[in-house]
Amino acid sequence: MAADPKVEVRYRQVNRMPFLAHGSHRIRYELDGPLGAPAYVLVNGLTQFSELWTAYRDALTGKGFRVATFDLLGQGASDKPELFISQDDQVKALRLLIGELGDGPVFLSGISFGGLIALRYAIEHGEKLAGLVPMSAFAELSPQLMLLGNALRTGLILGGTGYLQDLLLPMNLSDSWLKPLLNNLDAVKRQGWLVNDAYALQNLMESFLDFQPLTPQLASIKTPTMILNGEFDFLTPRSLHETLRVNIPDSSLVIIPNAYHAFTLEKAALTADLLARFAEDVLANRWRGNKAVWIAPEEPGGEMIPFPDGYDHLRAIPVKRAAS
Amino acid sequence: MSRFLGPLDSTGRVPPLQQTRIAAFLISAHGALARHLAMALPGQLSAGWQTELNAQFHREMEIVSLLMRATSWVPDFNLPYHALVWEAAWLPKPVAGVTDQRQAMTIDIAALGHAVHGAIRPAAVLPVEAQAQDPFVMALRRIEFESSRMIQPQILFLKSDDLKPMREAVSAAVENRHRQVGKLWAELLEGIGVGRDAETE
Repeated sequence: MAADPKVEVRYRQVNRMPFLAHGSHRIRYELDGPLGAPAYVLVNGLTQFSELWTAYRDALTGKGFRVATFDLLGQGASDKPELFISQDDQVKALRLLIGELGDGPVFLSGISFGGLIALRYAIEHGEKLAGLVPMSAFAELSPQLMLLGNALRTGLILGGTGYLQDLLLPMNLSDSWLKPLLNNLDAVKRQGWLVNDAYALQNLMESFLDFQPLTPQLASIKTPTMILNGEFDFLTPRSLHETLRVNIPDSSLVIIPNAYHAFTLEKAALTADLLARFAEDVLANRWRGNKAVWIAPEEPGGEMIPFPDGYDHLRAIPVKRAAS
Repeated sequence: MSRFLGPLDSTGRVPPLQQTRIAAFLISAHGALARHLAMALPGQLSAGWQTELNAQFHREMEIVSLLMRATSWVPDFNLPYHALVWEAAWLPKPVAGVTDQRQAMTIDIAALGHAVHGAIRPAAVLPVEAQAQDPFVMALRRIEFESSRMIQPQILFLKSDDLKPMREAVSAAVENRHRQVGKLWAELLEGIGVGRDAETE
């Protein structure tokens, strides 16, 4: 049960979908895997919906994890508050869901906007977590990210959800993923377009209008943290992940080779494997963050490689790191 | 019950009764918004923001005009009853919790506009096989496309600093209008064999 007495938790079963209730709003969620097992909670990106984690659900439950997915307020089958959706409410929704998982170890991971919500949760309730995996995430709005966000919001307003998807697909996915789908992109976009409403996405974007950087609070995250960043992430580049690595004490930064912002869609098998390995290392007390920088393997099960000593991982060309 | 309109005919067109019922509903809703805007629109504009009123009025009228011409109408003897229910629903009601009655009425009209442009997604009930060049199909897609722009003045007004002191009343008004419009839209769709929670595409 949720610890916050102000928040009423009740369950409803509508068309076999379970819902949590946060005030008057319903939050659709799904739990899979064995009761009492270490759990992974996966938080969607801005334009996503929980079915996009299906490959993770299968892979992680196959390795004995419990997996919790949900639609954020304003997304998919969860309620879509009409005018205001605060990030605090998203953290409260996440708290409700994690409250359903019992006392076993909980690992929390989120992509992009979901990564931000996961960071906020870890800052406020880190003691509940065994591990944290922010993916394509950020703790502050750099000028580039703020301007890109504004432009994406304008695109949504002027062109609707479909146009926003048109902008995000080439920005966040590789040529090799897009090429075979070029003649079928409408089908790729359709489910996201069907389940997400433009005004609700706009509300999610406008939850950044009063955003304050999380950077000063990152040091309070004591939980083991693996930060995942695509090699070619254009939307949230390395520098934004570096802020997380430098400020979260027990963290490592893992660069996913040949990956873009939405690598969770493009490299699901690899990412699920990295999530499982991280949790297994933490549970076996093998994890040492050390603020290290690693390069992930190309394939699941491959070897993690330390970033070459002396070179600057913030550059795209091999430049020696300045002596500190 | 299907999640989408149909069954389509051999050329990918939506059945005329479904067209008739949907067009009548949308004409009723957007026509009501057009009437509200016409009442609020002064003969001589005196402030910059009133230009948006003028634009909104004509966009609502464009939707009405488009549907009248793009729909394959058939007789529907249930329509008069439905139209009465719909028209009664669109009547403005001053929002509770706002003392200035003129402002309370304006908030309700904006809330109705937010709901009509936000809660009704006519293109989302079109199956992928629908004939893209059919006028009715194109009209539904156009209405949904325009809605994400047309909702903006309502959003700006309802989220404005002027209304911050009464945010709870405003949010409740918008929520109520969304619930009402969403329910009418869902009932309309169920009446023509379309269910939001049906699983078949």
